[in-house]
Amino acid sequence: MGTMGLALPWKARISSLPRERGTRVEPSEHFAGGPSRTAVDALSEDAALAAACRSGDLRAYERLYAMHGERMKNLARNVLGNPIDAEDAVQETFLKVQRSIASFRGQSSFVTWTYRILINTCYDARRTRLRKREVANDDSEETPRPEPRAPGAHPSLRMALERALAKLTRHQRDVFLLYEVEGFRHAEIAGMLEMTETASKNTLFQAKKNLRQMLEPPRSSAAETG
Amino acid sequence: MNVTCSDRDGIFEDGKPTEWAALEAHAATCPQCAEEVRAWKSLSIAAEALRDYSASPSLWPRIERALAEEAAQNAQCAERKSWLSFLPSFSPAWQMALAGAFVLVLTISGGWIYYHRPVRTVDNDNSLLQSSALKEVESAETVYERAIDKLAAEAKPQLENPATPLLANYQEKLLVLDSAISDLRAQAGTNPSNAQLRYQLLAMYQEKQHTLEEVLEAKP
Repeated sequence: MGTMGLALPWKARISSLPRERGTRVEPSEHFAGGPSRTAVDALSEDAALAAACRSGDLRAYERLYAMHGERMKNLARNVLGNPIDAEDAVQETFLKVQRSIASFRGQSSFVTWTYRILINTCYDARRTRLRKREVANDDSEETPRPEPRAPGAHPSLRMALERALAKLTRHQRDVFLLYEVEGFRHAEIAGMLEMTETASKNTLFQAKKNLRQMLEPPRSSAAETG
Repeated sequence: MNVTCSDRDGIFEDGKPTEWAALEAHAATCPQCAEEVRAWKSLSIAAEALRDYSASPSLWPRIERALAEEAAQNAQCAERKSWLSFLPSFSPAWQMALAGAFVLVLTISGGWIYYHRPVRTVDNDNSLLQSSALKEVESAETVYERAIDKLAAEAKPQLENPATPLLANYQEKLLVLDSAISDLRAQAGTNPSNAQLRYQLLAMYQEKQHTLEEVLEAKP
């Protein structure tokens, strides 16, 4: 397996970080007791934003960008591997939203719908890039992910995670990025990826299990040294 | 609430806050679960390394420009298509019915025009001359005939008193040609539109012309 060089020194690197971030548990229906006031406000704001975009108001798009632009770019960068392609994907997403806003019926939230377009745009761009790479038969120039500086050097946490994420299935990678990196709830992810909430939770579980296997130091060597 | 090591994965996947609290309590006394919980949480913490919300000042102006350009293009297209704006007001069934009716009208019109076209059977027979072409041929023939008569008048003194046997032969040939020409003219008179007769007549005149030219050249 090629993951040996990517093994993270968990105890040395991460244990010093605050542990509270990892205890995120979503409010379930048992505890929430129905939609809260803020959730209702968010829904009406979402509908208003969709209506303004449908009317062709560029300020509405600017507001959408102000609210989600950086997060969209970050998600695109994590899927595509470089900021230039990510910016292109975000721009293309806004254009697609403008083109197809008339067909948006409001079955999901407008923001969820926008992120769904973004994710599909990113994978279209990945496929296009892959085809170009196959045609050119030269992946040295097209490979966006940075390589370790030297074979003996320890890769950074970010680089290790990126490489491990690349080995996950598309859905596992998407759910991990949307939940753990972008902070979306499973209900929102389910809307974006057109799956059930339960499937989103299960996919995240599988993704984290796989990531842990890939990033964890080999147990045999760890046992020997310990 | 008590949990065991076997409940751990279920809580990782879809644990409620109380279940997480119980797992944490269990992990305090179970080193294996403590390690698993720590590693599980570490992944979430590590995910922060993939978060980079640095501003891109040039991105929104770029997007805004692209949106505005596309909106302007759409507006132009909408203007161009405005004359067809009545079409969307019809349902697809009506549009199909209109298209069908249009095709039917075209078919009937085409059929009517085909069956009522002027019949010109003469056009199909190339061997027959039309009246206008016949007039042209006859006038050209008359002019040609007069020219040959002039030529014959020039050669007449030699032919009437042939000085050599060759001239005598020319005279006989011209008599045969004149006889053939008069026969053909008689036939053409009864069937003036027959182009084949006219061609034969032309060939005779040409032969007579060449013979007369030879007679004149043979002048001693």
